[in-house]
Amino acid sequence: MSDPNPHPALMIEGLHAGYNGPDVLHGITLSVPKGQIVTVVGPNGHGKSTLLRAISGLVRVRQGRVMAAGEAIHDLKAHQIAARGIAHVPQGDLLFPEMTVYENLLMGAYCEADRETTVRRLEAVYALLPRLKQRHVQYASSLSGGERRMVGIGRGLMAGASVMMIDEPSLGLAPLVIEQIYEVIGQLRAEGRTILLVEENPARVADLSDVMHLLDDGRIVWSGAPAEMLDRGELLSTYLGG
Amino acid sequence: MTDISQDQPHRPPRKDLDPRVRLDIAVGVVFVIVAVAAPFMIDSKYLIGQLIVGLFWAAIAAQWNLLFGYAGVFSLAQMAVFAMGAYGTAMTSIYFGWTIWPAILAGAVVATVFSLLVGLACLRLQGVYVALLTFAIANVTYLLIVSDTACFRMEGTTCLQFSGGAAGFARFGDFGMRQLLRGDWILGNYAIVLAGFVLTMLVTWIIIHSPMGLAFKALRDNSSYAIARGINRFHAQLLVFGISAFFTGLIGGLYAAHFNAIGPNIFSVSTLLFIMAIAVVGGIGSFWGPVIGTIILMVADEFMRDMGQFRTLGLGLIIAVCVVALPRGIVGRLSDFIVKRRAAASAVSKE
Amino acid sequence: MDVFFAILVTGLTNGALYALATIGLSLVWGSMGMLNMAHGAMLALGGYVAFTVAATLGLPIWLGILSAALVGAVFGAVLYLSVVRILLKSGGPGFETSVMIATVGISIALQNTILLVYGGQPLRQPFNVQGGIALAGGGVMPMLNVVIVVVSIVVMAVVGLVISRSRMGRAIRATAQNRDAALLMGVPVERTYLQVLALSGALAGVCGVLLSSVTQLSPTLGADPMLKAFIMCVVAGLGNLPGAVITAFGLALIEAGVQFGLGARWGFPVLLMLVIAILIWRPNGLFGRAQIRRM
Repeated sequence: MSDPNPHPALMIEGLHAGYNGPDVLHGITLSVPKGQIVTVVGPNGHGKSTLLRAISGLVRVRQGRVMAAGEAIHDLKAHQIAARGIAHVPQGDLLFPEMTVYENLLMGAYCEADRETTVRRLEAVYALLPRLKQRHVQYASSLSGGERRMVGIGRGLMAGASVMMIDEPSLGLAPLVIEQIYEVIGQLRAEGRTILLVEENPARVADLSDVMHLLDDGRIVWSGAPAEMLDRGELLSTYLGG
Repeated sequence: MTDISQDQPHRPPRKDLDPRVRLDIAVGVVFVIVAVAAPFMIDSKYLIGQLIVGLFWAAIAAQWNLLFGYAGVFSLAQMAVFAMGAYGTAMTSIYFGWTIWPAILAGAVVATVFSLLVGLACLRLQGVYVALLTFAIANVTYLLIVSDTACFRMEGTTCLQFSGGAAGFARFGDFGMRQLLRGDWILGNYAIVLAGFVLTMLVTWIIIHSPMGLAFKALRDNSSYAIARGINRFHAQLLVFGISAFFTGLIGGLYAAHFNAIGPNIFSVSTLLFIMAIAVVGGIGSFWGPVIGTIILMVADEFMRDMGQFRTLGLGLIIAVCVVALPRGIVGRLSDFIVKRRAAASAVSKE
Repeated sequence: MDVFFAILVTGLTNGALYALATIGLSLVWGSMGMLNMAHGAMLALGGYVAFTVAATLGLPIWLGILSAALVGAVFGAVLYLSVVRILLKSGGPGFETSVMIATVGISIALQNTILLVYGGQPLRQPFNVQGGIALAGGGVMPMLNVVIVVVSIVVMAVVGLVISRSRMGRAIRATAQNRDAALLMGVPVERTYLQVLALSGALAGVCGVLLSSVTQLSPTLGADPMLKAFIMCVVAGLGNLPGAVITAFGLALIEAGVQFGLGARWGFPVLLMLVIAILIWRPNGLFGRAQIRRM
């Protein structure tokens, strides 16, 4: 069956963005084709999170374009971008501390008008992340780090989004928990979802990703297949400290 | 990507070439010249009196700005501290018979002690809780004074309360300018108050630009940098409470001596709000903000004096409009403007 | 025993009124980090609107209350659009003070406008509620007070339901707890702020009508209640609505007790000293948790 929409899920062209001072991102260009997992790696503080925030509208795009399935979103407000099917699972989770797991997940479906669809999605999230179902009446502020991360991902799934952007899912978690999180992401990949992933360490995400980009000092300095990046030892040592 | 091995050797900044310092000195000099010349160019005693009052408000606003703008302490007890200085002056003068200058110093000390106690109470609090606690303390102080009805001493048939009660104190002492300058006594008072104001602003400036000032800013920004550098949060908070109180109390003493009277009306919420409006309109966290804010709001107030009923309405609207149009105050807007021009200039030179 | 009933009646009535005023303040504070210093003037506005509708135009009382709520909501919305929205954009850390001073200016302007239009002499609301309810033990609660308490509680219950169950309420809570996350969920945060200020304005309007029916209508009607509401809000722990309601009733009863026991002028000072003690003991308020400013 031919794809009615030929555009990539996300297309970023010449993106410049920053906070209060100079640009943090200098002319980023990359695309996220439908059904693929694109990963952006690079040292911390060089703009990976800023990239996701610029796409989702939390940070203003100063120059360049962001297209979602062919539609320009760089001029839209954050909540409008979310309503267009871009789900951003942010660094540090940003959960609603005084809401339960259930209410947090429900918030993920804020834009969904149809109640049945919401219920269906919730059941799918609980199936994927059974721990959340166990804890569904617990307040988000009382969860462990791994559980919080799961709520964040679950919340992103509740939006029924066409693109999910996940910012450093392994941040601050114990190795065992990281395994679990990546298992979940692997399942999302198997479902054919489109994901833009940000991680510091490429080794972990290499076999998950279809394409990898290396972001250094606000610029994409290398793009290619994950296996290739792991092979290029000098890349790893220069930019990522081995 | 920068190569660390080629970093330039670190050179210590030369303070006397810092353009911001030069600007401050320039503005300061201009201000002093204008302030000194003013009484010779103005005939009206009323206006000179207003200038004196303006100096008072500007000094208090500057101290509140030090406390809030630089150290991030949202205190609503500023006028209570000021009152401590004024009342301290009046009461040491009346009860111990001290002459005016030791009395003013005593007032400043009383204000400092009071403020340190307030600071102690606020140590564990943050943000608006500090505002509430300081407000409560200030209000309780006011109520204690105003509800004091017991006769501490009698003057003829008049009952005088220990704290002055609702009537306050009067005729306890002044700068002695009437004997010296007779009809021009207000010029003498003006000179003294101006000197006090300049001294206050000078010391404030030095503090802001000293390591202590950095500690205060660290207090406001709550950064881990501060803790890493060993800046003790509690010490810094008590220090800022104490220093800002000393000068506020000093100004309070000068106020009491100038008017030769002080009463509980100084605690009024509207005075406090006026001071805060001055600081906000001028620009919180900027050195000259309080001065500029005072000039603008007092000029606005003067213009509306003739408007009778619409005066308060007009003042309220002006304050609201100023804050909305200039959210970082006038100084904030000016420095934004300068930064933009510099950025434009350097962008041009880069091409 | 008479004194006991006097304290109970006064405390309950005042508690209901303070609670209504406090919720309005707390809602705005919790979701926007904004201290609305014009809240008191908005109380007065509500009272005068109801007076105009009921006394001047001769329409029924409930229409007066409704109009007060409506006008309050509109005023809140206008306040957001003309002042708060602009300050939020440029704000950052200075926002809290700026908005406080700006709303002080608005409050002064509003109060003086009322003064110019209606004059300064106190007016009586044309509400005539006769009779009372007998309480166990021989006391009587005047019907007017009963109406006030009942209406307040009903309004607060409705607001509580809206906040906890409705989509708009979820949006408000989400915005209050984490603004960025709310944006990412698709919550139109700016529209939510508008709704919060409008809701708070409506609450102020209703509270003003009720308040002016037990006391008298004057331009400075709202100054004292707003102050006490502010205190109760903070003592309870900011943004905590149920806590604020409990604190309001509690402090109102204590205040009434002190006033009847020690004399009217001791009410406020004792309240303040209690607040000082509470804040030193619990730096984050009675029910509050350490707040991280989320703007």
